[in-house]
Amino acid sequence: MIKNLLWFTLIVLFFIAPFVGAVDLSLSEILQGNTLNATIFYDLRLPRVLFAFFAGGILALSGLLFQTLFRNALMTPYTLGISSGAVLGAGIAIKLGLATLLFGIGAVSLFGFAGALLTVFLLIYLSQFLRASGQEALLLLGIALSLFYTSVLMVIFYLGSAIQNDMLIRFTMGSLSVIGWKYPILIAVVALLLLLFVYRYKFELQLMSVSDEQAKLKGVNTKKVTLLLLAVSSLAIGVLVSISGPIGFIGLIIPHIIQRLYPVNITQRILKTTLFGGLFLVTCDMLSRTIQTQSELPIGIITAIIGGPFFIYLIIANAKK
Amino acid sequence: MIKCAELSISFQNKNILKDVTLEVKNHLSILGANGSGKSSFAKALSGLIEYDGDITIDSQNIKTLTPNARAKLLSYIPTKLELYDKLITVEEFVLLGRFPYKESLFSYAKKDYDIVKEMLEFLSIAHLAKHTLAELSSGEQQLTLIAQALTQQSKIIIFDEPTANLDPKNSKIIAEHIKALKEEHTIILITHDLHLAAFIDSQVLFIKDKSAKLYDKEFFSDTMLEELYGVAFSNLAVRYD
Repeated sequence: MIKNLLWFTLIVLFFIAPFVGAVDLSLSEILQGNTLNATIFYDLRLPRVLFAFFAGGILALSGLLFQTLFRNALMTPYTLGISSGAVLGAGIAIKLGLATLLFGIGAVSLFGFAGALLTVFLLIYLSQFLRASGQEALLLLGIALSLFYTSVLMVIFYLGSAIQNDMLIRFTMGSLSVIGWKYPILIAVVALLLLLFVYRYKFELQLMSVSDEQAKLKGVNTKKVTLLLLAVSSLAIGVLVSISGPIGFIGLIIPHIIQRLYPVNITQRILKTTLFGGLFLVTCDMLSRTIQTQSELPIGIITAIIGGPFFIYLIIANAKK
Repeated sequence: MIKCAELSISFQNKNILKDVTLEVKNHLSILGANGSGKSSFAKALSGLIEYDGDITIDSQNIKTLTPNARAKLLSYIPTKLELYDKLITVEEFVLLGRFPYKESLFSYAKKDYDIVKEMLEFLSIAHLAKHTLAELSSGEQQLTLIAQALTQQSKIIIFDEPTANLDPKNSKIIAEHIKALKEEHTIILITHDLHLAAFIDSQVLFIKDKSAKLYDKEFFSDTMLEELYGVAFSNLAVRYD
């Protein structure tokens, strides 16, 4: 009952989302076409809502993958420092004043993507030196990388001009603001490819979620499948973060919420986690546009403010049982 | 037929088994003190750990087998299951035994589900199908593991101390199932339980001081046991009958 109500609410909010914001739109205005409000709807709001939906899906699904593959509830691309890598990459591009476009994609995004990707390779390379049981060590490695990136970023801040710093701060807070359909379509394709890929490996994932030994005994090349899934989801995250900046907590809390709502094995949680993540981020984004301050609140702040307490509530509610 | 040629197993630069060469006719029980390398031997056989030398099964070197072919040839039943995803049900867990035979990338076939049902009924645990593994008792867990191994339809089934966590009643149930499986499968049994080994009645591999030696029935004579274990036993072999 609560489950259905929750889904229902999120889906209703999804359809309301394109109509609310700095300017509230009505359906009749949009259907007339050719008005300013119709342009806002088709070129700003609708792309943004869909961008948020697919972005949330990628974040939640990647979180589920990382948590399962590393067998640790705290492992997400965000906690492992992959998002921080993207921020540093973007920071370098901003500092160097690289505003030029390469293949239609901004240099800031390209550098962000490179930062995320390099972090993944660095993590994979460094994890060779950890024992098989070194999950905590890997998490510490991610945190250490994040701290290192942040200190380099501080140097960039220190050297940067006011305009550069303003751009950089906005990037670090995350934003789902897009103009036109280029990025929403790109992210939708990335999300669907990631989902398809995970479905292709869902039975391997199920075996590995039972135990590594079980998976090997049934003929799964666990090392190969783990690397492949991590690489593909990191690519997806890299593309996303390079456009939106880091958006925390979604990858951490959505898989937990779904696991609490649906205590079933992982293959049955893949699609639910992805959809819930998408709808949840759309709702968060709507809030960021409706809570009026001087301008809209950055999305990363909203997800943290909602996500943190909810996560604590879930932990306590579960402990009471 | 299982053959080992100069088989050596090391763990963290320490020799566990050294230059073991032997030929097993069919079924095998592996005995030896704690830490003597019984499980390592079984894990080498199952492809879970590295080893030097060669192991051949029916004149096929198992190092040359693909993981999938090896899964179809042998299954390994651990003493206890370490689960990360505790939400998997008995039915879903047993179905994983069909993974090596899965043809479609996105789903199991109806035949796979039929085999799972058949095995759950065969082992009298069909009523547990929808329970999660975490809810089961040790005896029920062991039966679930056996059900999964049977759905894997491998020629060889390796049992790693199957009765270690079980009470006498459940031990007897498991022992009788293992004995019945000798008809269609090659059973490799690792155990400390001399009664169980005597009941299963196969060749015995005794591992001691990094080497291993094969015995037939003479293993269970009081004098031999006293010689190998260093303490006296008497009138041993009748308990499970």
